[in-house]
Amino acid sequence: MEVSHSVKERTIAENSLVILLQGLRGRVTTVELRDESAAAGCITSVDAFMNVRLAEVTFTDRQGTVSHLDELFVTGRNIRYVHIPDEVDIRATIEEQLQAIHRVRYFGGRDKGRREFLYAKQ
Amino acid sequence: VFQQQTTNTVEEPLDLIRLSLDERIYVKMRNDRELRGRLHAYDQHLNMILGDVEETVTTIEIDEETYEEIYKSTKRNIPMLFVRGDGVVLVAPPLRVG
Repeated sequence: MEVSHSVKERTIAENSLVILLQGLRGRVTTVELRDESAAAGCITSVDAFMNVRLAEVTFTDRQGTVSHLDELFVTGRNIRYVHIPDEVDIRATIEEQLQAIHRVRYFGGRDKGRREFLYAKQ
Repeated sequence: VFQQQTTNTVEEPLDLIRLSLDERIYVKMRNDRELRGRLHAYDQHLNMILGDVEETVTTIEIDEETYEEIYKSTKRNIPMLFVRGDGVVLVAPPLRVG
């Protein structure tokens, strides 16, 4: 399970629905863009800002012209919809992602390791 | 899972959306689009997960001779959809026609 290396991104993801999209890594689905074009492919990664990387993409532009791309990067702002495949269990996917983040956060034990957020100083 | 405060009272506008969880809702979006579907999840950005969605896209065509406006709408159905919040204009219970 790939978790972002950035504390800021982990926190943003943990507190929004982007975390579900991050759990779709490896799934083939369609991303519809703001400009009415659509990209169908395998999700490689999604960051906290909803920027999406896709592989083996069938890209349909606004006019309907279809092309094939090995890789595609879509800026989060340009996304309108992401289709969720039928077989995805949304609740389970979100919980797995949250657990992955918690494993990273509490690495080394509760009292050891670098703390991402400060408790009141004793 | 994400709620900072899990109260049952309605304190802010987003709480009104919380009341619609698992219910069918109507979402008006930018670019003359409307969605009707079951609300499964939402967040503070109004990113939403909708199930059994019907999207309606409305276009206005101008008749070249009469110059009258012809409203056309295209519908399609999607089983499960993630909607990015910045496209959402309003969220409401489904409109009852008639």
